Amino acid sequence: MCTPTKRTQWREDLQHFRKDHGFSKKVLLNCCLVRRIVTWASPNPKDSVEDELELSAVRHRPEGLEQLEAQTRFSRKELQILYRGFKNECPSGVVNEETFKDIYSQFFPQGDASTYAHFLFNAFDTDHNGSVSFEDFVMGLSILLRGTVQEKLNWAFNLYDINKDGYITKEEMLDIMKAIYDMMGKCTYPVLKEETPRQHVEVFFQKMDKNKDGVVTIDEFIDCCQNDENIMRSMHLFENVL
Amino acid sequence: MAAGVAAWLPFARAAAIGWMPVATAPMPVPPKDKRRGHEGLIVLNVSGTKFQTWRDTLERYPDTLLGSSERDFFFHEESNEYFFDRDPDIFRHILNFYRTGKLHYPRQECISAYDEELAFFGIIPEIIGDCCYEDYKDRRRENQERIQDDEETDATNELVPPDMSFRETMWRAFENPHTSTMALVFYYVTGFFIAVSVLANVVETVPCGTAPNRAKVVSCGERYALAFFCLDTACVMIFTVEYLLRLLAAPSRYKFVKSVMSIIDVVAIMPYYIGLVMTDNEDVSGAFVTLRVFRVFRIFKFSRHSAGLRILGYTLKSCASELGFLLFSLTMAIIIFATVMFYAEKGSSASKFTSIPAAFWYTIVTMTTLGYGDMVPKTIMGKIFGSICSLSGVLVIALPVPVIVSNFSRIYHQSQRAEKRRAQKASKEAGQALVCKTNPNFEMHHHHLLHCLEKTTNHEFVDEKTYEASCREVTLVKQVSCSSSISSSPHGLTSCCSRRKRKTFNVPNSNMSVGLQGSIQELSTIQIRERPLTNSRSSRSSLNAKFEETVPLNCDQPYMTAAIISMPTPPGTTPEGDESTSSTDYSQANIVRVSAL
Repeated sequence: MCTPTKRTQWREDLQHFRKDHGFSKKVLLNCCLVRRIVTWASPNPKDSVEDELELSAVRHRPEGLEQLEAQTRFSRKELQILYRGFKNECPSGVVNEETFKDIYSQFFPQGDASTYAHFLFNAFDTDHNGSVSFEDFVMGLSILLRGTVQEKLNWAFNLYDINKDGYITKEEMLDIMKAIYDMMGKCTYPVLKEETPRQHVEVFFQKMDKNKDGVVTIDEFIDCCQNDENIMRSMHLFENVL
Repeated sequence: MAAGVAAWLPFARAAAIGWMPVATAPMPVPPKDKRRGHEGLIVLNVSGTKFQTWRDTLERYPDTLLGSSERDFFFHEESNEYFFDRDPDIFRHILNFYRTGKLHYPRQECISAYDEELAFFGIIPEIIGDCCYEDYKDRRRENQERIQDDEETDATNELVPPDMSFRETMWRAFENPHTSTMALVFYYVTGFFIAVSVLANVVETVPCGTAPNRAKVVSCGERYALAFFCLDTACVMIFTVEYLLRLLAAPSRYKFVKSVMSIIDVVAIMPYYIGLVMTDNEDVSGAFVTLRVFRVFRIFKFSRHSAGLRILGYTLKSCASELGFLLFSLTMAIIIFATVMFYAEKGSSASKFTSIPAAFWYTIVTMTTLGYGDMVPKTIMGKIFGSICSLSGVLVIALPVPVIVSNFSRIYHQSQRAEKRRAQKASKEAGQALVCKTNPNFEMHHHHLLHCLEKTTNHEFVDEKTYEASCREVTLVKQVSCSSSISSSPHGLTSCCSRRKRKTFNVPNSNMSVGLQGSIQELSTIQIRERPLTNSRSSRSSLNAKFEETVPLNCDQPYMTAAIISMPTPPGTTPEGDESTSSTDYSQANIVRVSAL
């Protein structure tokens, strides 16, 4: 059974194997040359060897129901419903970014949801292996739907912090804001102006950045959100979604 | 696909938490879920074969028998299952439709049996997946044609219903000669006279030996002029009578006059009458002679008697473009070679190639390998090019013909398929639109999600026309309306937008405050008119229906601007208060919207 961590481990092992076993430089070069020719000949930009690995590892089975039940706050029945829906759309057991964007865009037909979906994907893909398995999916949902307010805010901070360095800069926030506004599309009332996302970011920073150092830390963020009534109320909005 | 995406709605809604810290406005209240005990297996017993599926799976398509309460009529209490006395093999495909969203047509099933099952279970055939759609339509058409043919032959063998009028009887007799003996007699008589007339035209021109008092040979027509004239008169009288009778009996006289056969009839008998009318002048007799040529068109009257001729005519008509191409390529080759031959033979004396058009004749005769020999090249260059011409003639004529024939066959079938697909596409999309309505539950939550996004960004979704209208609008109007609302309520821009939004979302005046009664009526009337116009709503549901825009948009600018201008200074109605009461309206509004589509 190939769990995501095992897969990356295996890939690393393969790379170490190549390095450690002292292939002569010439062989390596030829190998690379052949590969280069192959990749040049075929329009596929990805590495063909990597492709095969991906294909072989594409069948993914989640951990057992009991384990997931213990790790998340969903009941057995809820997990069953979630998995059935998940498996229907992704029979291979994992979602890659393209499929993720595709699915998410279907909910926002008027705008372009792909940028926001990209950020969402990174937020769900906690082990950063390029695909969202059912465990990742269900862990994320558990936090969003059944977590404490603290956890939800934590998740939101993680979403905004694109490079995961613990600080939200204005640029990161601007990216997120633009992604959200992109989802609205062109046909809005009032008409979307260029500086609207930027202005929104300014408003956000004015509210959140208490010490005015240009970044928002996790503590500032959580503090500020807990003091805002609207945000608090909206955190409980989707509690009975499932 | 819609069913699959619906399963991800909880995820999309959960992900909306990511917008919450960013939003400055409060979020709308989520709509209440209509939980109906949706977890549970349903047993469907179809003539002994048991099928089981989740209740949710069946309810994905609430418009069908299995998805609606109609299935309760088939509930069997003793065995606690739904019993259907239908074909289980076909039912398998129908159930797969619920599971996968795609309806397939099994080739081994009879098309009428399949259609019957679809009709029973309330499924429109237009939603058959692309993989099987063409096959289904082809078989259906074949079947219908066969049925029609059978009916027609049956109809012709039937006894004539006694209450048919004389006119109808006559028309029927003309169209189907096998219906009665009289019709058959008439059919054969006219056929005979057509043959006689054509034969007379031909024999007229045969030289019949010398006239008794002249030296030169005369044709039979001139020798037995009277006899031929009487024969011609008789034939023309018969044809005229036939034409007039057909005209009388035709159900649509205008259509009959326009049809090809009637034009042929007219052209066949006209020369005679024109000849009667015209006097025997020298200058007009030339034209008169030309007119007699048209008498040969009588032979086309045989096409009523022969189906093969009709098919040939239709074939020629339909491959006209291919023939045109053949002609064009031939013309090109002829011109090229004629030019070359002319200049090659220019030098030789007493050459027959006096001009390029004169060389056309040589080129055509050589390229078609006829080789009459009336024009031959004399110079060496001329002979070389002449031989190249005859060799290439074989190629130019022999090669494209099979290619054109096969092209024609391929293009003909292809165009038939393209025509079919085009014709089917419209009905297919209409059918899909009708059937692909999903859960109102799903719609409700989806709209709430979009509403949350609007709240986060403080912008509304509008349709394209409205967007263009607002772009062209004078900002003054916007400022007037928005500033008035800004002055009165704390959330300036949002209340202006939310009020406009409420126009399109909610059923009239259920949650507007009392103070706005008069304007509410105005706004509500505009609401009702606007709802079918907004594309954004239809585009949201297009997620499920998968069609671009079947709702015709005729958004009039006056409506939108009128709405803005007529909005009075709102009293302090806060959006929050209204939001809480809007929950019940969502379902209503959304259900109305879905059915409006």
